[in-house]
Amino acid sequence: MVSELPPRSRRAWLMFMWVLIALPPTARAQSAFELLARGPELGGLDVPRATADGVAGEGTPPALASTALFAASEVTAAPGSDSRASASDAPVLGGADVASSAGESAPLSGAPSVMPAPHPAPPGADVLSPGQAPLPPLAPRPSFQVMPVAASVLPGLLFHGLGPWLAGDGHTAKRLFALEGTGLGLIGLGLVPIALTGASRRTIAPLYAVTLAGVSTFGISALANLYAVTSPAFDPGMPPLTLPPLELELGYQYVNDPAFDYSHFVSLGAQARFESLRLEGTARIAPGEGNTQVRLGGGYRLLGNPERALRGSDGSWLDAEAFGLFHRFPTEGFTVAGAEVGLRGRYAMVRVSPALAGSFAEVSLGASFQGYSYMGAVDDGNLHDQLLFTFGYGVWLGRGGPVRGDAMLYYDHRKDGFAGGSRSRAGGVVGSFGLRGRALLTEDWGVAADVQAGGAIVGRLSLIYAVGGEP
Amino acid sequence: MGAVLALLASGCMRPAENRAVRDSKVGRADSGGMSLEVEDGLAAVRSLAAGELTLWGNAPAFTARATLSGDARSDWLVTVRNAMPDAELVAQVEGGEVLAVEALPQALPTVKAWRVGLPAGAKVRFTVAPPDWQAREPFRFVSLADVQEALPRVGDIYARMRQDDSVRFILFSGDLTETGSQEELLEFQSRLEAGSRIPLYATLGNHETFSNDAEAYSALVGRGSQSFVFRNVRFSVVDSSNGTLDPVVEEQLEGWLAASRDGAHVVSMHVPPQDPVGLRGGGFANRAESAGLVGKMAREGVDLTLYGHIHSYYSFTNAGIPAFISGGGGAIPETFDGVGRHYLVVDIGADDGLREVSLVRVD
Repeated sequence: MVSELPPRSRRAWLMFMWVLIALPPTARAQSAFELLARGPELGGLDVPRATADGVAGEGTPPALASTALFAASEVTAAPGSDSRASASDAPVLGGADVASSAGESAPLSGAPSVMPAPHPAPPGADVLSPGQAPLPPLAPRPSFQVMPVAASVLPGLLFHGLGPWLAGDGHTAKRLFALEGTGLGLIGLGLVPIALTGASRRTIAPLYAVTLAGVSTFGISALANLYAVTSPAFDPGMPPLTLPPLELELGYQYVNDPAFDYSHFVSLGAQARFESLRLEGTARIAPGEGNTQVRLGGGYRLLGNPERALRGSDGSWLDAEAFGLFHRFPTEGFTVAGAEVGLRGRYAMVRVSPALAGSFAEVSLGASFQGYSYMGAVDDGNLHDQLLFTFGYGVWLGRGGPVRGDAMLYYDHRKDGFAGGSRSRAGGVVGSFGLRGRALLTEDWGVAADVQAGGAIVGRLSLIYAVGGEP
Repeated sequence: MGAVLALLASGCMRPAENRAVRDSKVGRADSGGMSLEVEDGLAAVRSLAAGELTLWGNAPAFTARATLSGDARSDWLVTVRNAMPDAELVAQVEGGEVLAVEALPQALPTVKAWRVGLPAGAKVRFTVAPPDWQAREPFRFVSLADVQEALPRVGDIYARMRQDDSVRFILFSGDLTETGSQEELLEFQSRLEAGSRIPLYATLGNHETFSNDAEAYSALVGRGSQSFVFRNVRFSVVDSSNGTLDPVVEEQLEGWLAASRDGAHVVSMHVPPQDPVGLRGGGFANRAESAGLVGKMAREGVDLTLYGHIHSYYSFTNAGIPAFISGGGGAIPETFDGVGRHYLVVDIGADDGLREVSLVRVD
């Protein structure tokens, strides 16, 4: 690369490299950060104003205050310790990493235009509140452009790399085209044999899995296409650094389903987080009509950081889940009870392309086994199985402050929920679609909302109270 | 986004509503000096002109009320297609007088025609039924579904059925054709008349809805949801082609269930409430709705449920009711099931209830 430079540029380059080598690491980091600090994004509220030893001086620009903090952090490193190692743990180097990467991410054709914003690993968690940890400064990001956004909708929903490609981000475009192609291929690989075999009971399970994998890949690439060109309009969120050990939830759920008399539900929920174990319980109760659904279970983290210690993680994880379900329908005269098991995973889309930083894809696959008990002299000894499958595309909310959460557009294949499946001309094969969000707005309080449309419309709004956790 | 989702969903919440409303218009016509209403919509009016009425029967026995204008013609040709081969027409003026009816020679087993003199200005009640329609003896019928793109080969099935003289009619659980277009349905009916010696009474399937939400089906065949009684056994067919029952249809079904609480009752629909292969999920869109439906049918003493949509043969129970899927009309068959094209022969009686269900292979 250097040898391709003209002689004058080569000399300048060598001079620059010598200066960099001659400077102590702290100075290098500071320089990089100061460079970044001139960017408009760094003036945001995310950057803490407090320094390690007090409040930033009056009138001190936030960026400079942050610089002071980072410098102070580094100064406190033990003398003689490996400065590179200590620096790698410091947020300033998170910024430095971004800065150095940002050099690569200058809008070059075929190269990432936005760099990932990995979690900072701040030095000494005792210095700053985990809920208000300093954020890595954002790398220079491409400006928002209307045309790529419009094109990402039409015809971008058919050509999934079109939006980024028009925005000059060939790297993301290629990845999304590849994802779309993979999705379409999998759909064909599953759907064609399903049609040819008449959805045979002998082969439907693997073929269905392949088809749904294709549908999810296709759907995720479609939404990623849209996200890649809309995200320059806002600061991308990041995974929460930690989540509280216990969250309690109280809310209201509305269901509009012409097949049922119920409409209004009290919604209750609780989540308890341990090391790798997460326990969940929800209840939906229609006070007037008596319909009651209780779901209890949890998940065990197989891959990725536990939710109480997400620091340093890009937010990707894989959980094994198991739930029990009890649902009583007094008006319709039956009760259903059963169990379900499955895997649920979340993948930070920044791994696909830096332009997708702040977003994630989530997929789950499992099965449920249920039995029905009917009122009256009705005997049914059947065990009903069901394919459980969801996929979604979401964004993290918040950037290291007290606001922690996510929002996701999703598809849910299950037919035993309040939304049910879509009543379509294909019968009842297609599931439901929804948008849900969940966020802690302060250290103690948050909200959750969910809108789902299948055969019924379901809306739910809940207040969350977080118990415990780090101050 | 929520509003968009709501708008999208609103179209999916009651997709069968228009068909349920349209059902109420089946069997009604006003033309050529006659105003006609087929009770319970058990026949579709194919044509009505001065002196000429043609119906497509969708039940073994049905009645119709005709009101003639003061200047209506007195000599009428009444033709009923898809009729029981031994069906008779009884025309009676409201208030008593039974009118003279002349049966015309039959060219096809299921096409019946009569000449009848109708007094102008009178109200006449027609009854089209075989002589034994109110008996209580057991009888035999055929259950079939899902011909779709195999329409050119459907004659094989009718030929196999002709080997059994005891079957009275075919109860068809939807998906007569691939797209439900008028041309396809007319071809289905012409092949039926040419190949079958017994009529076929149907409900529609999701493939019929592919063309203008089954408008052609309503005009050419009849209601998607209806109920009739033959030999004191009630048959109710309901439109489940969207993986749901519209509330209007469900209310109708509740009435039919209550009317036959103590008698034999067969319920048929296209999409089964519960797919016996749950992972496939070929049943209703909402499992709670399907459980509510089968529970209701079980409590009301339904003897047999017959379904289509899945192109194979399944014998199972739903809420304890014997249930069969018989989608063997020839549409892309479920492979590795060892069944192929097939239909069911059902023996049932008013007093005995369900006696036997037999699988008959065609190929």
